Amino acid sequence: MTAYDYWSITRGALATISLSLVSILLGVPLGLALALIRWARVPVLSRLVYGYVSVVRSCPTVTLTLLVYFALPQLGLSLEPTGAAILALTVSTSAFNCEIWRSALVEFPRDQYDAARAFAMSRWVRLKLIVFPQIWRASLPALVNEMTLQIKSTPAVAVIGIVDITRAALRVGANTYQPLPPFIFALLLYGVIVFALLRVQRALERRQRVSGAMA
Amino acid sequence: MSSLISRALGQPRRTSNRPQRAGVRRTAALAVLTLAATFGVYATASAQTADAIKARGSMTVATEDDFKPFEFVDNGVPTGYDTEMLALVKKKLGINITQQIMPWSGILPGVTTGKYDMAVTAVLVTPERKAVFDFTSPLAQSTTFYAVKKGSSITSADDLVGKVVGVQTGSAMLADLKAFDEAMKKKTGKGLKQIVEYQSYPEIYQDLALGRVDAVANTQINLNSLIQTRPDTFVIGKPIGNPVYIAWAVKKGNPGALALVDGALTDLRKSGEMYALQKKWLGASFESMPQSIN
Repeated sequence: MTAYDYWSITRGALATISLSLVSILLGVPLGLALALIRWARVPVLSRLVYGYVSVVRSCPTVTLTLLVYFALPQLGLSLEPTGAAILALTVSTSAFNCEIWRSALVEFPRDQYDAARAFAMSRWVRLKLIVFPQIWRASLPALVNEMTLQIKSTPAVAVIGIVDITRAALRVGANTYQPLPPFIFALLLYGVIVFALLRVQRALERRQRVSGAMA
Repeated sequence: MSSLISRALGQPRRTSNRPQRAGVRRTAALAVLTLAATFGVYATASAQTADAIKARGSMTVATEDDFKPFEFVDNGVPTGYDTEMLALVKKKLGINITQQIMPWSGILPGVTTGKYDMAVTAVLVTPERKAVFDFTSPLAQSTTFYAVKKGSSITSADDLVGKVVGVQTGSAMLADLKAFDEAMKKKTGKGLKQIVEYQSYPEIYQDLALGRVDAVANTQINLNSLIQTRPDTFVIGKPIGNPVYIAWAVKKGNPGALALVDGALTDLRKSGEMYALQKKWLGASFESMPQSIN
């Protein structure tokens, strides 16, 4: 492996990180919105969300990516590979995030919500001050878990020409006919990324404990 | 749509499945193209005629990245026989050719749905594929060979009896290997011990080095490239199939792109530039190939 090979796999890591980050930043709030729709039992919409989550959860990310990239143009929407990859990854993670948020919402003691209502808090204030801080705390470990899975499902978008860590490593191996060294380096990079994410989770949890103690 | 998924997912290299032609709805190009400039969205108005491509001034093709020596990425730069041939074709035609690099599994769906005008990759021309695609004038010719690890007891094709052989799933080479196995069974009553199918060749070479398979079946051209890069580990064996042509594939009913590219390829053969590149990348030139193989 030449120095350039290491550099090309590192560049793949930048693609993996940015695609994961964008899809997580879009997918986590989107998941929350979907979960709230189901929690509030909004007529019609809640059924649609149920259908969306069921379909997306049963769909492998590779299939979803191929659908977005090759099938959507037939409906008149043709995306560049990067756009298609972000869309596919966001759709995928939002469905899983919806279920994570929803499980916290289901466990949320409804009497607190009713009590806040008795104090004439508006719906927005109830969500922001009473519901959200508690479900955020309850969901964080599962959300971060889903994020690590999300990072590791990014190789799926290589099928439409995105060069992520795994694809970059494959390319090097296909050229040198020595696939092992690039894969070991790729594994190392995934390790570093997930480790960094877990550090962020720890920092967030510590902050929660502090703010929890203050409250 | 379901056929699209199963086709794309289960699509191994050089598969002989017949992708069905999806009913591509051609979108009005102009309005969307205007949008494209702003939003990075572009229309897939696949070309029907040579004039349409010339008028548009551009063509979109899909290329692979891990099929050395035909197409691979070296130090971040796409290179190989097909990539250099494409550059010559581009110069000849004077049109802009956008090259999208992706794995094999994304290439055929891209061509059948009209996202790309042509698959610029080493497609082995088989009767099954002719039913689905039109092929350009052939770019190379090859025969399926086997290769073994250095020091192996296998010295002739007959020695493969009772051995484990790795090959890419769904490939033309797999078909060759199966036919070889049948022929051996008829001749000697015994065939291969097992045919192991892999997604792509780098894994097979790795397993061959590790001793998990006794031999690998691939085209002579690909195996020569392997031997050149790792002469310390692998040795090329003997042919186990008949010669086949290698060409670029276009969706059936897209004669425009085909006519344009064929014209350029014919010129490149006449000028000898194609043969020079064949010698450079494939180690031999193929001068007796027919002009058309459709």
